[in-house]
Amino acid sequence: MGSSLRSFIKDVRGAKTLADERAIITKQSAKIRTKLRDDHLPHEKRRVNIQKLLYLYILGEKTHFGQVECINLIASDDFVDKRLGYLAATLLLDESEDLLTLLTNMLNNDLHHPNKYAVSLALTSLGFLSSPELARDLYPDVENIIKNSKDPFLLKKALQCAAKLIFKDVSLLEIFNIEDITKILANHSVCTHGVLLGVAKILQSILSIGLNRGNDDGEDGVDYNSDVLSPLSLLLRDFFVRLENLNSKNIEPGYDVQGICDPFLQCEMIYTLKLYFQVGELLDSKHVLDYKNNFCDLLTRIATNTDSTKNSGQAILYETVKTIFSLNLNQPLRVLGVNILAKFLTGKENNTKYVSLNTLLNVVPQEPTAVQRHRKFISHCLQDSDVSIRMRALELSFAILDDSNLVDSVNELMKFLAKQDEDSKDLIVYSIDHLVDTFDFHTVKDEGWKLDIFLNVLKMVGSFINYEKINDILIIINNTTQLSDKSDFLRKLLTISLGEKSIEITDENIGWQLVLIWCIGEYGDLILNQNDESSTNIINESSVTNYLLNIKESYTTTNHKIFNYILTAALKLSIKVHDPKNIEQLRQLILGYSDSSDLLLQTKCNQYEIFFNQPVSVRKVILETMPKFEKINEKQNNIKKPSKSLISDESTNLISDLLGDDSKTEAKTLKSDNVQPIDLLEEIFGEKKAVNQSVKSGEEQEKSADLPLQSTKNSNVILPSDAVKIHDSTSLNVYASLLSANAGQAHIELYFQAKLPMSDLQTFCAVPKTQKLTLGQLHPSSTIEVNQICKQLLKISGSGKLKLRVKLNFHLNGSLSTTNEQFDHKFDKTL
Amino acid sequence: MTQLKYLILVSRQGKIRLKKWYTAMTASEKAKIVKDLTPTILARKPKMCNIIEYSDHKVVYKRYASLFFIVGVTPDVDNELLTLEIIHRFVETMDTYFGNVCELDIIFNFSKAYDILNEMVMCDGSIAESSRKEVLHHVTVMDTMESNDNLERVLS
Repeated sequence: MGSSLRSFIKDVRGAKTLADERAIITKQSAKIRTKLRDDHLPHEKRRVNIQKLLYLYILGEKTHFGQVECINLIASDDFVDKRLGYLAATLLLDESEDLLTLLTNMLNNDLHHPNKYAVSLALTSLGFLSSPELARDLYPDVENIIKNSKDPFLLKKALQCAAKLIFKDVSLLEIFNIEDITKILANHSVCTHGVLLGVAKILQSILSIGLNRGNDDGEDGVDYNSDVLSPLSLLLRDFFVRLENLNSKNIEPGYDVQGICDPFLQCEMIYTLKLYFQVGELLDSKHVLDYKNNFCDLLTRIATNTDSTKNSGQAILYETVKTIFSLNLNQPLRVLGVNILAKFLTGKENNTKYVSLNTLLNVVPQEPTAVQRHRKFISHCLQDSDVSIRMRALELSFAILDDSNLVDSVNELMKFLAKQDEDSKDLIVYSIDHLVDTFDFHTVKDEGWKLDIFLNVLKMVGSFINYEKINDILIIINNTTQLSDKSDFLRKLLTISLGEKSIEITDENIGWQLVLIWCIGEYGDLILNQNDESSTNIINESSVTNYLLNIKESYTTTNHKIFNYILTAALKLSIKVHDPKNIEQLRQLILGYSDSSDLLLQTKCNQYEIFFNQPVSVRKVILETMPKFEKINEKQNNIKKPSKSLISDESTNLISDLLGDDSKTEAKTLKSDNVQPIDLLEEIFGEKKAVNQSVKSGEEQEKSADLPLQSTKNSNVILPSDAVKIHDSTSLNVYASLLSANAGQAHIELYFQAKLPMSDLQTFCAVPKTQKLTLGQLHPSSTIEVNQICKQLLKISGSGKLKLRVKLNFHLNGSLSTTNEQFDHKFDKTL
Repeated sequence: MTQLKYLILVSRQGKIRLKKWYTAMTASEKAKIVKDLTPTILARKPKMCNIIEYSDHKVVYKRYASLFFIVGVTPDVDNELLTLEIIHRFVETMDTYFGNVCELDIIFNFSKAYDILNEMVMCDGSIAESSRKEVLHHVTVMDTMESNDNLERVLS
């Protein structure tokens, strides 16, 4: 029997090498090709060859040459041929192929075949392979079965098939008769679970069309609302009863899954009902919406009665929760939903944890406080062994972070970071990015604590932080108001780096080193002037100087960035130490590269050398500590950046200052203030701020006179000048500002400006299917006074045109009824 | 709503044992999915969750003995927990049909595995029958009809 399917499979499996296997496959493939061309091949042989062809298909080989032969097999009178022929056709052909027209007649014949199994094969295949042409031609035959058959086996297949055909060719909706379905549902003897699945499917298909179509009138002249949805709504009551019975039913053998009665059918029915109400809301159909309370009651009962210990029950609960939130049902239900998800988190099953975290993340904007209540469980998931769960938990932790839980949350995150290793680099980078953002967004009273957090971050994962984020961290340090906090921070850094336990920090921890180097340059004097500390034997002028000298050795050749920092730090430190020996060492450090082959480095060293030769009084002014860095200004206006915290940038400015005529006078006027460096700092900083503000407001008023800028002065959130008005109604204005859009990611900020006092503002945003949206929280709160502004950050990742559909729910003037508004906005950017 | 995109059975060695596509895709798209998913899923540790994100959709998988059942699902439409139940139903049904099913049963009788699957999942990946008994009943009836055909041919 060398020619049977079995021996072919055995041969392939028995091949010793890949080359052997290839040889066997190629040989067989050629043989099948010749055999199939032979018109006189007996049917039995024909079947064997088609079966071999299917095996080739599974192996991923080319099979196109057998496509016509499958169709020939279908035409055979023998059931065995037909069965194989249909199987092969559904695998080897797909919906896009022209060959499908050849099938039309055969399918047509078989749909009227006396043998019900032939009919069922035809229905199954038509369901898989339904081009719009086939759909149009064969729908009447399928409908005929739905109308006349009393066999549940055929009915369920015909319903599934019809659902697909209607979806393929929407104009069939005109022919579809809802009474056929009513008739089936009324006949107890045919209403098996399979048939009900079919009914659910066909309703889903019709309702999805309604959802896609919205309020537009189709070309076919069908008024969806009155012609389709109203008659369809008559089935709702029946569906409620069936679902309720199913849910409360005890064990029914055959449909039981871990003590739950047919979770498949239950989920399909819940989903169908969800579609009903989605379409009902969209078209504002009274016929459907009248049942909303019944639906809410039913969902409450399902949510409370379903056993949540097994996966099958959890599937139903999960479907229920998804429904609650996508319809944004009443608040008690939403809280119930959040609690169900939270319960999922406490279990051992990873899959339920995953779906729960994922859903909670989408739910945060709808029910922030309810989700926050379960922060403990969410934090617990940060310690999970599965990285995808940790990632979800991390996203969620940041999504629910606000002023009230900031300290606790950040402490949890630190615990989390301490346990991460190289493998979870993505998680670390994500945490740091968001941690920095968090501190930008929320004001922390205890700045010393904030710096301690960054100290720990640097210590644990400094080697994973990219330069951009290091800059952000430096800005945070720079903007700390209390000098004592800064010097404490630096002392801790130095104690660890210079102390006995210096093994903790490796050379790879560039983040740590960069921050330390920068701090030495900026705040070296703060710490060196404190003589009363017991740590003087570790931290003193020469140990700090030596640190710079040593660190230089480790990085010069490998890392230019860090070397630039070292040079600047050395220059700045030179005015802060008093021992001539140390000053000379620092000078040598800079001089050492003044003939470097690297042009940039050489230039820099020579420039710094010029500084070095200036009198101390001049240097002191030039090398003064950095002023406060106004990050927001840079983002909002493209006005001159107030010194970008990077010293390399500053150096050029300094030179122009130095060479400029007024540098001397400036130095003189400021000289007297040098005695009180803190005052000077504040003065500079104060001045800068004033200048920035005046420039900004001037620009803004010029650019966009229509933005009511003055009114914003009471709120924390200020409308940026580049925000575009995207919605204007009697109760509020909405502005959008596109912060960034590149590399598959966009950040958008929405600004809601109230015209009437409103509370409980909820926003729902939708993006095209190719994109993923993460909604931030409303800041500062969901209650807005007249003319105040609250903002929300949107992160969109994916591809395609940037489009938003925004739906807003809010209470006006403290009234209890909810007001809805919806609008769309297209950005002229594409991801 | 169940709307599976595809179902692929892969052995622990990364060999494909069964595949079924429920959405129209080009050959290169299909090849890419198989090529990307196989190593990713084989590398996952047993305790990790059974849902992963891939390209624009999600993938639910479950290992039974030496075989991985991999199912692509439509985001926001499919219920991942229910997808796991569908996979389990399919395995249970094959288990009853073959009597303690193993990888070899599926390798040598792949067309039977397809027959069972097609009774359970139809059209664009929607579940058509939730009863194991129903599926088995109809598959066996069709098997008998096949052998009757053969018998008639021998007799004539």
